[in-house]
Amino acid sequence: MDEIKGWLIAALDRLRRAGVDYADARFLDRETESITIRNEQVAALARNRDRGFGIRVLYKGSWGFAASAEPNEAEIAAIANRALEIAKASHLAQREPVRLDDSPPQVGSYRSPFARDPFAVPLDKKLELLFAAVKVLRQDKRVQMAEGAMRFFRTNKLFLSSEGAAIEQEIVESGAGIAATAVQDGEVQRRSYPNSFGGDFAAAGYEFVASLDLVGNAERTREEALALLAADPCPARRTDLIIDSSQLGLQVHESCGHPTELDRALGTEISYAGGSFLSLDKLGKFRYGSKIVNIYADATIPSSIGSFGYDDEGVKAQRYPLIKEGRFVGYLTSRETAPLIGRRSGGAMRAESWNHIPLIRMVNINLEPGEEELTLEDLIADTAEGVYVCTNKSWSIDDLRLNFQFGCELAWEIKHGKRVRPLKNPVYTGITPQFWGSCDAICDRREWRIWGLPNCGKGEPPQTMHVAHGAAPARFRDVEVGVQR
Amino acid sequence: MMGKERILELLKKVLDRSPADQTELLYLGGRSDLTRYSRSQIHQNVSEENARLYVRVAEGKRLGVVTVNTLAEQELLRAAAQALELARRQPENPYFDGFPGPAGYEQTQTHFEATARFTPKERAEMVRKIFAQADRLGFEVSGAFSTGESEIAVLNSTGVAAYQPLTGAEITVVPVSRAGMSYADAFAHDVSQIDFDRVAAKALERCALNKDQQEVPLGQYDVILEPGCLAEVMNWLSLIAFRANAFLDGTSFLAGRLGERSMGENITIYDSVHEPEAEGLAFDLQGCPKQRVTFVERGINRGVVFDTISANQAKAKPTGHAGPPDSPYGAMPWNICLEPGDSSLEKMIASCERGLLVTRFHYLNGFLNPKQALMTGMTRYGTFLIEGRKIKQAVKNLRWTESMLRAFSNVRAISREREVFSYGGVGFAIMPALYITGFTFTGVQKEEPAG
Repeated sequence: MDEIKGWLIAALDRLRRAGVDYADARFLDRETESITIRNEQVAALARNRDRGFGIRVLYKGSWGFAASAEPNEAEIAAIANRALEIAKASHLAQREPVRLDDSPPQVGSYRSPFARDPFAVPLDKKLELLFAAVKVLRQDKRVQMAEGAMRFFRTNKLFLSSEGAAIEQEIVESGAGIAATAVQDGEVQRRSYPNSFGGDFAAAGYEFVASLDLVGNAERTREEALALLAADPCPARRTDLIIDSSQLGLQVHESCGHPTELDRALGTEISYAGGSFLSLDKLGKFRYGSKIVNIYADATIPSSIGSFGYDDEGVKAQRYPLIKEGRFVGYLTSRETAPLIGRRSGGAMRAESWNHIPLIRMVNINLEPGEEELTLEDLIADTAEGVYVCTNKSWSIDDLRLNFQFGCELAWEIKHGKRVRPLKNPVYTGITPQFWGSCDAICDRREWRIWGLPNCGKGEPPQTMHVAHGAAPARFRDVEVGVQR
Repeated sequence: MMGKERILELLKKVLDRSPADQTELLYLGGRSDLTRYSRSQIHQNVSEENARLYVRVAEGKRLGVVTVNTLAEQELLRAAAQALELARRQPENPYFDGFPGPAGYEQTQTHFEATARFTPKERAEMVRKIFAQADRLGFEVSGAFSTGESEIAVLNSTGVAAYQPLTGAEITVVPVSRAGMSYADAFAHDVSQIDFDRVAAKALERCALNKDQQEVPLGQYDVILEPGCLAEVMNWLSLIAFRANAFLDGTSFLAGRLGERSMGENITIYDSVHEPEAEGLAFDLQGCPKQRVTFVERGINRGVVFDTISANQAKAKPTGHAGPPDSPYGAMPWNICLEPGDSSLEKMIASCERGLLVTRFHYLNGFLNPKQALMTGMTRYGTFLIEGRKIKQAVKNLRWTESMLRAFSNVRAISREREVFSYGGVGFAIMPALYITGFTFTGVQKEEPAG
């Protein structure tokens, strides 16, 4: 690493002498282990190693970036030159030169905490755990597909800039989950634990996987999948809606996280990921939700996959409000975009790997728990009629992040303050500010939990980011449930 | 680019010294360049060179996979040893009966020097021309223009030695006016085949129409879907219906219903690397030759794609659609095509008394009820009300929720002309425009206050 660091520093020095406004270099080395069990078979099991470097150049206000998997002295010099050549090409079609904020260059290091190195845990142990959980899921023949998965990541990153920043980080992440797909008479129902699409993830070691107790939760997961086969469909109507913590995390992701990305609001994603209804004129003025809605960007939470010491522009991790008492007060920002709203970078620039440029990405975007004492059972007891939906099944939202439709794996019908029966195929839909404006109760910190999502997509070429969302179950009044047809 | 000789020579060295019973090596490498713009200026301009080596070994019926992005011989040998260690710790896979043997490949033309040599400066100059055309109309332009060159090689200890180079060029043009925006794109292996003027003109013309968007009542409409809408639908059908795993676990609408009708008689959907509009990679990532696979023929369910392992499980033949060996998704369609008809977009509009013309879909999701291929999504980049056989008015973007089995049972017309859409450079969709009756719209994009 020291040798590579020296070559990268030399390349940045040469770029500085060539007259660039700014340059930075990132070297990244990532190990990954992924295991997928499907019924009694290993469907996929692989260890991956990915390493390389990328150099970003700002020349006369225009960006260029080049990256290579061969971190030797000659290649680093060649890639630096290519990045400069690309920046000069960008300059041919420039209107407004890019200017970075005055965030001070950082020198430091960060390591995410973990107790048990997941890469040191024998593979036999991991397989034993997954097969044991799958065996429980498969105890009824209607479960035609039982799946178990684990994924582990260890990322070592070096960041250097022409301003003198020098940062080293090591982040270890672990995640796991199980799912049962039950099929009968043409009906297909799926139930997952602890979350759908691969489970839950944390910036932690194998202790996180052990804490999920996949085997202990397999029976309930199976029984809920089977119960859904016989359940009635969730009827289409307007009613009160209680959303569980994991689904609410995704609701925050899609309807608050993405629209508060300042690059979207500025229009640089409209040809792909989309724009944002949270236009610049709304900052500080717009009522986004009810007064109990407080949403923070917080990259400082220990053990969450939206956390880090420094972002990929070398800006220190921060916590700040996006929505305060229902009002829209902040964007996720970068060194390039923050000055356009009169602020300094909020430290939200993240790149998937060495071969991608950093983009404005979510960190941990969290709905704060309610201030009044309120458990989930209290909330259900306080609801005369409605549905309680659990675990995401489908998601869709428009290109300005206004009109959304989410499907969940399971709904419980609520009558007179009690869960009375399960309902299948629940879907709810709404318009973002109207929906958050109808939020009248959020459970307290005892019900609050953070969920790791390792698959947030954005950008061209596409990048996948690890983000997280904290939420406690909450109630929304008079929501359209089911699809009116 | 390393070239065929050097890649196969390197892979052979590793293969010869691998300690496993059987070894399979997959090389995916190349360079990809992308210029991205918004508000008629370049805001992102990137270039990446990478090469990934997948080492899969077998000991009996046990498999292990390690991937690295280095070509250092010692590291590749270490990867082979690690893969063997992983294999030894796994249970047997009863459906694995060895890596495939050698086979002949039909030649496909996927590499063009004009694309390989395209420079960042040429990309910048091309988009600057489009900016100037848009500027004359008072529009700004967003989008991306990418060019790339890659090589794929497979070598295994049972005799497969496959190599193919590819290039790809893709441009998206999104003009933005004060009143709305629009979209046009093009993909080709050969950049010189892209008619940039036509792409720009189509996008600019459509943008001029997309203004004063009105809200229309929700409900069922006749729709004319431009080809890009279908490319997104097919991407989801590939995931939920046309691949082996979805078929084997019973969640595909084809599972247990082969030979039955699920769509209209005018619908044929298939996977093919030999189409007049484009050709694809001649083999899959195990080195098996790509077969033409028909999913739905004249509305009747016919089959799905398989790799060697899923084919054994289903007692079927492999179709040459294996994905990367570390993928949990298994075999996937790569080159999905909808058979053309004899109509055109203009004829469809001229035959529609009342309906909607949709430029693109956005953010589809097909997990609502895969057995019915029930999907939801939004319209984007221009949705237009047709009345009296003419485009009458732009309307607000709409949410739709519809079973694709139902929709493809109600197709009144299919265009003769088809467009090519890239799926990540290697795969593609080739789609016509469709006229569908009774398509269900369930929501509208609008800002409602929080109250």
